[in-house]
This record gives sequence, structure tokens and C-alpha cells, in this order.
Amino acid sequence: MIPLFLATVCLILGSVLALALPGNELRARAGMVSQVIASVLTLVAVAPVLAGQPVLEGQLAWSYPVDTIVLQVDGLGALFLAFSMPLTALGAIYARGYLEPYFKTDRNLGVHYALLNMVSLSYVIIYIVGNAMAFLLGWEVAAIAAWLLVIWDYRSNNVRFAGFNYLVSTHLGLLFLIAAFLTLYIQSHSFDFASFGPQLRLAGTKRNITFLLLLASFAFKSAFFPFHTWLPRAHAAAPAHVSALMSGVIHKAGLYGMLRFTLLMGTPDVWMGWFLIVFGLTSAVMGVMYTTVQRDLKRLLGYSSTENVGIVCMGFGMGYLGLSWHNNTLAILGFTAGILHILHHALFKCLLFYAAGAIYRATHTVDLEKLGGLARHMPYTTATFLLGSIAIAGLPPLNGFVSEFLIYKGLFDGSVTSAPTRGLFALVAMVLAFVGATSAFSMTRAFGLAFLGTPRDLDHTGTADPSAAMRSPLILLAVSLFVFGLVPQVGLSLVAVPVTQLLAVSGLPLDIAQQVSAPAQVLQPVVFFGGLLLVLVAALVAVRRWLLPPPAPAHRTWGCGYTSPVPRAQYTGSSFSDHLAHYYRVMMPHRRDVSLPQGLFPTAAHLRTHAEDPVEHRMFEVLKEGKESLADLAALAPRTPRIAFAIGLVVLIASLALGLSGSGGQP
Amino acid sequence: MTTPALVLHLLGILLLPFLAPGLINRIKAWWGGRRGAPLLQPLFDARRLIGKQSVYSQTTTAVFRLGPPVVVATSLAAALLAPMTPGTGVLSFSNDVVFFAYTLGLGRLFLTLAALDTGSAFEGMGAAREATFSVFAEPALFLVLGTLALFGGQAAFADLMGPHGWQTVPVKLLCAAVLLLLLLIEAARIPVDDPTTHLELTMIHEVMILDHSGPDLAMLQYAAGLKMTIYMGLLAALLNPVLLADQPWWSAVVSTTLIGGAILAVGLIESLLARLRMRLIPQFALAASAFGVVALLIAVTQSQQG
Repeated sequence: MIPLFLATVCLILGSVLALALPGNELRARAGMVSQVIASVLTLVAVAPVLAGQPVLEGQLAWSYPVDTIVLQVDGLGALFLAFSMPLTALGAIYARGYLEPYFKTDRNLGVHYALLNMVSLSYVIIYIVGNAMAFLLGWEVAAIAAWLLVIWDYRSNNVRFAGFNYLVSTHLGLLFLIAAFLTLYIQSHSFDFASFGPQLRLAGTKRNITFLLLLASFAFKSAFFPFHTWLPRAHAAAPAHVSALMSGVIHKAGLYGMLRFTLLMGTPDVWMGWFLIVFGLTSAVMGVMYTTVQRDLKRLLGYSSTENVGIVCMGFGMGYLGLSWHNNTLAILGFTAGILHILHHALFKCLLFYAAGAIYRATHTVDLEKLGGLARHMPYTTATFLLGSIAIAGLPPLNGFVSEFLIYKGLFDGSVTSAPTRGLFALVAMVLAFVGATSAFSMTRAFGLAFLGTPRDLDHTGTADPSAAMRSPLILLAVSLFVFGLVPQVGLSLVAVPVTQLLAVSGLPLDIAQQVSAPAQVLQPVVFFGGLLLVLVAALVAVRRWLLPPPAPAHRTWGCGYTSPVPRAQYTGSSFSDHLAHYYRVMMPHRRDVSLPQGLFPTAAHLRTHAEDPVEHRMFEVLKEGKESLADLAALAPRTPRIAFAIGLVVLIASLALGLSGSGGQP
Repeated sequence: MTTPALVLHLLGILLLPFLAPGLINRIKAWWGGRRGAPLLQPLFDARRLIGKQSVYSQTTTAVFRLGPPVVVATSLAAALLAPMTPGTGVLSFSNDVVFFAYTLGLGRLFLTLAALDTGSAFEGMGAAREATFSVFAEPALFLVLGTLALFGGQAAFADLMGPHGWQTVPVKLLCAAVLLLLLLIEAARIPVDDPTTHLELTMIHEVMILDHSGPDLAMLQYAAGLKMTIYMGLLAALLNPVLLADQPWWSAVVSTTLIGGAILAVGLIESLLARLRMRLIPQFALAASAFGVVALLIAVTQSQQG
């Protein structure tokens, strides 16, 4: 506990320094250094827990009505802390490069760094407290800090709208959470999570309702379909590292919530497992379908978060079924796959957003219809984005495949004997295969259009790779994809303790060593073949090099006899996905604005298409105002957000300072 | 797996990718009243291409050069896993089917990226089609695997492709139909794509490799033949009632005959049918999924009774 307490102090001190020091350079350093120190301290604190040592416990005395806050770092909390803190620190380092143009201006970057520290602080609260009130406090700190980070570019109406959209959505989710907590409080007369346990273990209508309320709230936080509408806007509007932080790290709090309450709930009902599978599958399918038509690279990546949390949720659903049926194998596979995928998604999603940020810095756009040919000038960004694409599409030999493989393993596993269930699992596997293939489609499209070919718009040609501050996080994350893909024991040993905890709630006995070794054995041949693939590719490249010593003759691309090809004639994002989108048109409204050339001497003509988010589309359609209502709402946003910034920050820091100092400091 | 069987499998992987297209071409030639090219013409073509130089477009980057090796490597890895006779493949492990499908997916990713790397509108078109149709084909494959897993227990090729008794024959025939449709899609044969077209008339696979030349082109053609061989081998393993472990020679003979049958079937389809309109190909792939669903339903009812 002591290192965690020190980490908290360090983060608060860092944010105070970031606000107080003169000059942006010093402020940024204060932020980065405090983040890194806090990460190291956190890792020191949680590493023993993840290795199987006993749970860290503590108490924090507070005034009425909370009284005492139970602090507890168990395997689950430890795991989430272990990846959240370092990835946020990485984001702070990346921000040094990404926000470089602002360092020389009179804009105060201290606020930004202080907010990043607040986000880290919110993890410490959310992942260790065992009290509903304190949990809500952490939840709010994360939400408000994330909102203020999103509206970095607050002068733009769109950005402000995206920010408020997020703020409203996250508070809608909060309402569900409060409702669930109050339902439990009425019965238990205490806000301690431990006292919720006995209530949640009683099967019946109350438990079912609480389960659904909690699920709705966590679905808002993690942007499950159809609660995702805030996500693409927020991700497109925020600076790249903030998008990465939200998508890769902050969202995961929703999934943490699901698992935390699973631990309290004991053996779940069978319907809950199926519900989670269907709910997750829906998110995965809808999310991945939206990714196929996006023009904005960051929106695309945002939608892919909806897809990936869906896959995680499917894993949880399998785990639930395993718990209800007392099927050890299924429970291990489901939870291991789900939790591992959280970790993996955090890595490759951060990587992809960082790369998108590098593109934005080099070209001032992330519009796929304008980009092209970046591979020529940005080798590091290209290579890392390609690796991220392979990982996120779940293809071997990188880490995305490892977690998806475990899910398939569970779906096809022989330990389930009932034929109808196996039939349903086969259908689920079919849909998952669809999700995988579609994800590969979108990543081919995104990577192929942005990095390959020639620039589609000469105003947006990439010039060079980003600075070292932005490049090093990219490289670090790219290496991690290989590590987690080719040495799955690393990831498995991290998730072993949380999974053991989850199995224990249903009385499935299991020791940690067995927990790591079972999936590791399953993955052994996969790793072997992954390595074999790499060796084969290297061998073939070597053979070709021997056949064709460089330099190879170069010529222009064969234009099928047409001698003056222009970049504008290349396939675009819309043309790439047109055929596929045609089949989805019921679910994805395309707004088309066409004026065809007329007469013998046609002059002006245009075609504009825009893929709208169907949920949002329907939401505004209900208001019968369509597109205009969006613009009106955006115009309503306060025009002086500096004040909002300041108030939000003061409230944040004050409440945290109160929370920690007024408590008597008994960590 | 015994040594002779291993040698046979490796020989199949090395030779069939050349022999099968040669045989199909010969069947088409006979059907059209011509004498046809030598059976090993694809092999001669490959040798000629390896002797040549590769020319690279100035637009292309390392991704383009990485394309052919990755496509060949992934197809080889998949071929090592996929059996041609029932029972164990050369290498086999639990859920190797998933690795099989996703490895081929990795190859497809690089094939399409290499096409996009040329910056040609034409190749972009081919890449988009390939990626689109795979979205419709992939679910069908997993449906077949899931259906067969109902009989076998674990989802490894070794369990899926065993003889499971006479009552499973209807399901197996349906699964075989799905695999045949998938073969036509994955190996880019008529009625999905036409491997003999070039330049303006080409549609999917050939258009993506327009800019590849020399050894690179040889690699891609070998990989395309290998993909076809893999699916033919799967068909043979699925329908073959003789386990390799029980009667190795009979098993090999039956599988060889069945692969011959598959070659004949593809040859006849190519001779008798015209290419489908591009818009109909997703329906074609969905038909495969529909067969798969029927097979799954029958399998579920059967194993519930059994």
C-alpha cells in the first residue's frame, strides 16, 4: 500500500507543479516525471499481487456518510493498474512530441499535463476502493478529466460538441450506476462492496435488474453498441494521445466494473452468460461494420473499440457460462481470453492512435480520401501502423491472434457436450469469423489508403517521421505486440491471478500455476507456427535476394496501356468499401448528395456521400430535425470554455485533496 | 504420421500446385476440342519466371516486396496443417483449424496491400473485391468447421476429417459442397474469377498481381495453386472413409482418387459455366453459408439423437 500512497502523492504533486511552474517545458517535465515515477511505484506495489502474493488491504477513515473506505488491491485491480498507469505515462511522453507546436505559444500546457495526472489518479481510486461512494468519485474524476482533455481544441464548435456529447453520455451511464448502487444500498444499508455481495448472490428479479443496470452503465463507459454514439465523435475530436488514452485505457474501467461485480455476484445465471455473448457479439458486428466506411482514420479506430470490447464481452459471456455450468475449462478459456484481449487491445489501440497522431502532425489531416503514399517518407510510422493493423485484425503471429484463438478454442471445445449448445457455439464462431474478416478488410483499407500508393491530395503529403518523443512510444508498443504474441506466457501470467479469483467465486478450485499452464499448453503450437511463419518469410526473402541481387530495375506502375495516370484516379476509401457497404445499407444509412452532369456540354457536377452513425441518425430523427439539430446543439455549447476548464480543474483537485488529506491518512 | 505418408504429403504440397492447374487446363482443352498445353506447363512457366528479373514500380515500397514471400509462407504453413487424408496432418494441434484460417487471412492481407501499393486504380479494384468476398466466405468456412466439430470433439483437422459413420454422410456431403464453393472463391476459379484472363478483362486475383514479375510472380502463382490444392486436399480428407492409421495405402489411393475427382469437377465447371456477374458473387458465398447452416442443423439433430 505504501508505494501506491506515494504514487498518489507524486501524481498530485506533479499536477500542482505542472500548474505552478513557469514555462511549458518545465510544466511538461513535471507531468512526465511524476507520471513515470507513479507508474514505477504502482508496478512495485502490484507486482507481488499479480505473482500470487496475498491481497493488499488498507482502510481510509472518512467522515459521514462514508465512514471508512476499504482499500483493496486484489489481482483484478492490480492487473488494471499495471497496464493503465504505464500506458498513461507513455501518453504523457507522446504528448511532449504531439503538442510540440504549442510549446512555443503562450498556451498553458500545464493544465493538460495536470489533467493527465488526474486521469492516472482516477485509476488509483477506481481500481482499489471497495466502497461505492469512493468508486463513483473516481468514476467522475475520470469522466471530467477526460472531457476536459477531449476539448483541447476548444475553439472549434465540433470539438466542443463532441466534448459535451461525451459528457452527457458518460453521465447517462452514471445514472444507471447510481441506480444500481442505490438498489443495493436499500438492501444492505452500506456502501461497502463487501456488503453488496450477499445481496447479489441471491438469485431473483432484484439481482437480474441490478445486473442489467450495471451492464448498461458499464456499456456506456466502454462504448458498447448501442451506447457508443459519443465515442467516434470524441475520438475524432481529441488529440491523438487523448484518444489513445480513452480508447485503450479509460474505457477499460467499464470492463473492470463488469468483472468486479462478477466477483461479488457469485455463480451467475445461465441467461446472463448468453446475454453477454449476444450483447458482445452485437457490439462486435456493428462496430466492425462501421469501421468499413469511415473516412476519418480516428473515427475508424474509435468504432473498432466498440468491436473489440464486444469481443472481450463474448469472452466474459463464455466465462459466465462456464461458471454456471461448473465447466472449468470453458470458464478458464472465456475469462482468460476476455481479460487478455483487454490487455492486448490497450496495446495495439494506443499504438494505432499514436500512429494516427503522427500522420496528423505530418499531413494536418486524418481523412483517408486525402492521404496516400505516406510509406515513402514515414518508415517508422508505416511499419508500426502495419503491425498494429495485423494485431487488431487478430492475425498471427501478433498478440491479437492469441486472445481470439482462445475464444475460438472455447467455442469449439469438447468439454461442452450438449449438441444444441455446440450448434449455437458454431454459429457464434461463424459470426466471429465474419468480424475477423471484416476487421481485416477495414485495416487493409485504412493502411492501404493512407500509407500506400501516391498522395491523393498534394496539400497533404507526409514529409517525415515524427520526433523521437512520438516515435519511441510507437516502437515500444510495436515490440510489445511481438512479445505478447510470441511469448503468450507473459500475458497469461499477468491475467492468471484475476482469472483464478473469478473461478473461485463459483467454487471452482484452481491453483495459479495450473491456470497459466492450461492455456499456455493450448498456445504452444500456435507460437511455434507463428515463429515458423516468420522464419519462412525470412527464408523466402533471402532466396529472392539470392536470385535477384539489388538494385532491381524500376519502372512506373503498369497502367494497362494508359500512359498518364493521375493520383486522383486511385481507388479511394469510398470506392474500396462501396461493394461491401451496399450489403449493409439497411443498417448503415448513406447520405448521398448527387448532381449529375446535364446537357451536351456538361459543366459542374458533384457526388457527396456520407456514412452516418445509424443510432445517432435515429436519435436525431426522433427529434424530426435531422442534421440541423446537430448544428443547433453545437452552437449551444458555452463559448468560454476556459472557465469550464478552470472550474473543472479546481473541483477535481480540491475534491481529491479533501478526500486524501481529510481522511486522516491511514493508507 | 508415418514417414511415407509425410513424404507423400510434402510431395503433394510441392507438385500438386503445378499439376492441378495443368490438369484443369487439359480438361478444358479437351472439352473445347484442343490438344492443350503440356501437363506441367505451370511448372515450366515458374522455371522461366524464376530465371527472369523482377521489375518494380517506382510507386511501390517494401510492402510490395514483402507481399509474395508472406503469401507463400502463409500458404505453406496452412498446407502443412491441412490434411489430404483423414487422420493427422503433417503437423496437427488442437484448434489448428483456426490458425489455418487466420494464417490464410494474413496472406490475403499482404496480397491486397501489395496490390494497393502500386497506386493503380485497377489493382485497387481487385484488392477491394478480394477483401470484400473474403468477408462473405470466411463465415462459411467456420460454419463447416463448427459443424464437423460436433462429431469429432476437438476442432483439430485430425478429429474433424475422420470417418464418423454412415449416418453422417448427408452432413459430410453438404460440407463438401461448401468446401467446393469455397475452393472456387479462394482459388479464384470460374464462376467467381477467371484465371485465364489478363489485363482489361481480369477481375480479382489476376488483377492484383498485374505489377508482379519474375520470381515474385512465380511465387504468387505457386501460392494460388497451393491454395487450390489445400482445399482439394480438405475435400478428399473429408470424404475419404479410410483412416490413414488403419490402412495407409488404401487411404492414400482413395484420397488421390478424390483429389483427381475434385480436379475433374473444377475442370468441368470451368468448361461448362461462364463467370458470374461481380454483383452476384457475395450471393454465391452466402449460398455456401446457407448450405453450412443446413448441415449444422442436421448435425445438431443427429448428435442429439445419437
